[in-house]
Amino acid sequence: MTQTSPSQLYNFAFIDEDSKREVRRMTLKAVAIPGHQIPFASRDLPIARGWGTGGLQITMAIIQPEDTLKVIDQGDDESVNAVNLRRLLQRTAGVATTTDTDAASIVQTRHRIPEEAMRADQILVLQVPMVDPLRWVEPNLERATVMHGEADYGRMWVYMYESVVKAGDLRIASQYPVMVAGRYLMDTTPIPRWDVPKLHMAETLFLFGAGREKRIYAVPPHTSVVPLEFADYRFKVEYTPGQQCRRCGATDTFLTSHFVVQPDAPNGGHWVSSCSDSSYCTKRVLAQTVATEEIS
Amino acid sequence: MTHLATKVLHVEHLSKQYGPGCARCAEYTGPHHHSSQCPICGTVHACVDANFTLHQGEVLGIVGESGSGKSTLLQMINLAIAPDHGHIWYHEPRDDAAQAVDLATMNAFAKRTFRNDRLGIVYQRPELGLNMRFTVGGNVAEKLLLANWRHVGNIRERIRDLMQQTELPPERIDDEPHTFSGGMLQRVQIAKALSSSPSLLLLDEVTSGLDLSVQARVLDLIRRIQWEHRMTMLLVSHDLGVIKQLARRTIVMKNGHIVESGLTDQILEDPQHPYTQLLVSSAL
Repeated sequence: MTQTSPSQLYNFAFIDEDSKREVRRMTLKAVAIPGHQIPFASRDLPIARGWGTGGLQITMAIIQPEDTLKVIDQGDDESVNAVNLRRLLQRTAGVATTTDTDAASIVQTRHRIPEEAMRADQILVLQVPMVDPLRWVEPNLERATVMHGEADYGRMWVYMYESVVKAGDLRIASQYPVMVAGRYLMDTTPIPRWDVPKLHMAETLFLFGAGREKRIYAVPPHTSVVPLEFADYRFKVEYTPGQQCRRCGATDTFLTSHFVVQPDAPNGGHWVSSCSDSSYCTKRVLAQTVATEEIS
Repeated sequence: MTHLATKVLHVEHLSKQYGPGCARCAEYTGPHHHSSQCPICGTVHACVDANFTLHQGEVLGIVGESGSGKSTLLQMINLAIAPDHGHIWYHEPRDDAAQAVDLATMNAFAKRTFRNDRLGIVYQRPELGLNMRFTVGGNVAEKLLLANWRHVGNIRERIRDLMQQTELPPERIDDEPHTFSGGMLQRVQIAKALSSSPSLLLLDEVTSGLDLSVQARVLDLIRRIQWEHRMTMLLVSHDLGVIKQLARRTIVMKNGHIVESGLTDQILEDPQHPYTQLLVSSAL
């Protein structure tokens, strides 16, 4: 029986060249107008809408055979969604994959920006579930588009004001609204507040794709990204004093917590924290191990 | 020595129609035909060749029956409806040296900025002027936030001050609008309109639907605000009683046309146009 190669089964990176050209054209338009949502003809993919099809289409449109790809979900390289997307791209594009942020030329992500500062020769593609930050205050898409066109963000500011009044502080956990290049209000997708400052004046190109809502937007390198805040209620990133990663001991990363069951313990167990960016954590652990070995 | 009042608004040949229009429109529409809709092409001539001037600190009333075009005229001045023809010249009362600006030719961004900074509007239906999902404080804060107020403490201080001015209990700053009565909601709208210290306040049937005692309180409040701030106001109403109480000058509209204008007392005491005579006699 003859072995069939991936290139014979699928077009390179799955979608056809005309579709890729269209996505690239819309991506270029998005880069030219930072923070502005560009509509595009979102294609059907062998994964369901809402599982990262927007980000995937951007990655498929820009990826080259010589690229090295990293896919993360909630900061983790080994979660089901990340593994599935990585396998799909590996199978259809035959590109090299990695879990090391430093070694990747394209990083596709959901819910996190890697802890390691990304370089100018890298691209971060974010999967976007909900595009428009104005949806909280204006559910009608047509009217929201006019509001963006006129930079009419008064109601969004009222939403922020109400957040302070009702909760005592700016209690927006993720999808924190930001002003891009002083012009467009942008949703940062479900990344935690911890990652929002990484978008500001970064070296890297950030591309945001929403397959279900059929929109692409971008933050080009060296672009100002300013979170909405008040003079007396500042934007703050998540931080719990004393909390550190149980593996690498980091206190300067975004940490997630889980409960470790211990039947003998008085509370039935205890909470532990670990770095959300698993590859960065592993790298730190390895570096610590090497350092310890060198000392001994 | 006579001091000439400063002109704030000068409306020139302002027209708005809904439909393509035809050569016979002028022949078949207007007060003489008791219709603003052309029977041939179906075009509605909502406002035809409106001309008037509004001076600093003056209250001008626009009166007419439903469908006479008074709200269309008000919405064109509010920059919510684009006129088909004509000019809306605005003279900045805070700057004598400033040139008059034609609001009708402004781009969308400039219109929005102007509407926020210089205009205040109070609607008959509070849900048109207020966002019922936000608190009362949030509603009043909107214009301040658009004017780049970015200190919650200062914003709340200003809101409380505006609530006091409009006879609303400041302790209810964080309550939702649906917990307020109709008269209170009109006062919330007035507080919101005043928040940016506008040059021109537009009032669209502000007391319609309110019971008489509440109506009287709202009118008293408007009169007091007009007196204290020397506020220039454009007041639309079908109620001659309201016009009589607030407006110094009045224009009467019918089927999209201004049929009579003059001092309010003169119009009410000695109406010239048959339609105005009908209005006055109906009111009495």
